[in-house]
Amino acid sequence: MSVTDLLWRVPSVQMAWRNLGRNRIRTALATLGIVIGVVAIASLGIAGVALQQQATADLGSLTNEVMISSGPDSDSDGITDEQVEEIRSVAGDAAVVPEKTNQTTLSTRDGREAFVSVTAMTRPSAMYTVSAGDNPDRFHSGALLSNGTAMQLGYELGDPVEYDGQLYRIRGLIEAEGGFGPGGNELVLPLSALAEQEHYDSVTVVAADGDEAQAIADRLETRFNEGDDEVLSVTSFASAQESIGSFLNTLNLALLGIGSISLVVASVAILNVMLMSTIERRGEIGVLRAVGIRRGEVLRMILAEAMFLGVIGGFVGAVASLAVGLAVFEVLAGDPTLVLAWPSVRYLVLGFGFAVVASMLSGLYPAWKAANDPPVEALRG
Amino acid sequence: MTVVELDGVVKRYRSGQEVIEALKGVDFRAERGEMVTVIGPSGSGKSTMLNLVGLLDTPSEGAVRLDGRDVTDFTEDELTEERRSGIGFVFQAFHLLPMLTATENVELPSMWDTSRDRRDRAVDLLQRVGLGDRLDHTPSQLSGGQQQRVAIARALINEPEILLADEPTGNLDQDTGRTILDELTRLKEIENIAIVAVTHDEQLLEYADRVVRLVDGEIQP
Repeated sequence: MSVTDLLWRVPSVQMAWRNLGRNRIRTALATLGIVIGVVAIASLGIAGVALQQQATADLGSLTNEVMISSGPDSDSDGITDEQVEEIRSVAGDAAVVPEKTNQTTLSTRDGREAFVSVTAMTRPSAMYTVSAGDNPDRFHSGALLSNGTAMQLGYELGDPVEYDGQLYRIRGLIEAEGGFGPGGNELVLPLSALAEQEHYDSVTVVAADGDEAQAIADRLETRFNEGDDEVLSVTSFASAQESIGSFLNTLNLALLGIGSISLVVASVAILNVMLMSTIERRGEIGVLRAVGIRRGEVLRMILAEAMFLGVIGGFVGAVASLAVGLAVFEVLAGDPTLVLAWPSVRYLVLGFGFAVVASMLSGLYPAWKAANDPPVEALRG
Repeated sequence: MTVVELDGVVKRYRSGQEVIEALKGVDFRAERGEMVTVIGPSGSGKSTMLNLVGLLDTPSEGAVRLDGRDVTDFTEDELTEERRSGIGFVFQAFHLLPMLTATENVELPSMWDTSRDRRDRAVDLLQRVGLGDRLDHTPSQLSGGQQQRVAIARALINEPEILLADEPTGNLDQDTGRTILDELTRLKEIENIAIVAVTHDEQLLEYADRVVRLVDGEIQP
């Protein structure tokens, strides 16, 4: 026996279905209201999820880093070798990249000039992405130059750049990263280039993910900074990611709120439709009661009508929202199938559930009113 | 055997500020196998009386007895059970449900009672009222007389002891009305039920075993 057959055996459901069929336009319009409500809730929710996933992906390369520089209570004018060793021991497996920085102006023979920041380090591979040439793990000779700067000056791989009287051959070109990432107008040199600078200006710790970065930052704080003293200034972007995440959550809630309003409007429309249809059928319901149909049976019949509106509207709305979700993920993430993951599907389930619950709640009063109408009064119509 | 009995029944309505006494102490009884016609001008309290006999309403004073049991103080739910099992209704305007077929309309009073299938009895009743070839027609595909015969079959589906008819011929022409009354008379004998018909149609008097005249809420001797 199929589900339909089984449903058909429930008299209230059967009667409800036929009653809805009597005024198809009204039924369709009431259902449309629910569809719009569900689409509003579910697709705004899904859009929020897509936005959040995209923002996390964009920030991901930055949030796993901890930036350390010399604090106001430091005894030296930078980070000492001993401090770097201590940082290494605290950081464990994470890459620790000490840097010395300066600025210079690069100029070519034909008079073109570019202002660049100079960073000296031993391990650029942990910090930069290289679009051409190599990206050394141990950096003792040559130079890396930002793509944009190289283009501006007409430099290519293998060309020499001059810094502080020394020539360095360009080994790799650095790709500029989007957002807050490094890579614009930079000249990266081996540590030996800035040998006269005794201390490091900054140390970057590159952890596996944002959580680990935060943990390392917390450990560094306790190790170096006692009380209000700030020997080392430790900055982690994990907290930035958290606040962006919480902002997006708020945004998502606001979007859902807007979506819920349309579902509330839809359920008021259903309340109205159900109320009108029970008032119209007052005499008929009186007949039902007269021939011995119980109050509970009348109540269930009308609730079933409201439930049908909710189930059908919710289902159509969920399907439409899925289509919207596919489009949103295609545009924002370039991969429409991401919509099938639970964070998005959750909103389809939520929208459907809301539709059914809201419709049933809207049906409750008309159903109660019709069921408790005294038969004598109802029969008068 | 007395099926239904009104004993000194008074029914008062509140209409705005004033109280209207629709029935002023009515004694009435109906026996199995008899057709009682209640006749009277409009506003005489006929419909009120029928509502009380049909357990659709409760009296302000007096007692209502069904099969000798006092049902005066029954709750609405108890009255519903009594109506379901013991009373059939036929209305002036037929009151069939438009989205159901003739057979389904007949089954309606027993529809929620899933413990037994009344399809066979519904078909049997429709055949007996001459609608064996109209089983799957909806009310809009039936004439007024045919609709009223469906309504009669519906009233009998639960094997009631009493059938109440409110102006059963009111919406029908004379000839059709006559066939309906013939039908009721026949069923009254076959099913051994009491029929109480309320009307101001003189035609019904020919078919009545007993006529009760109601004027201003009182039964005339």
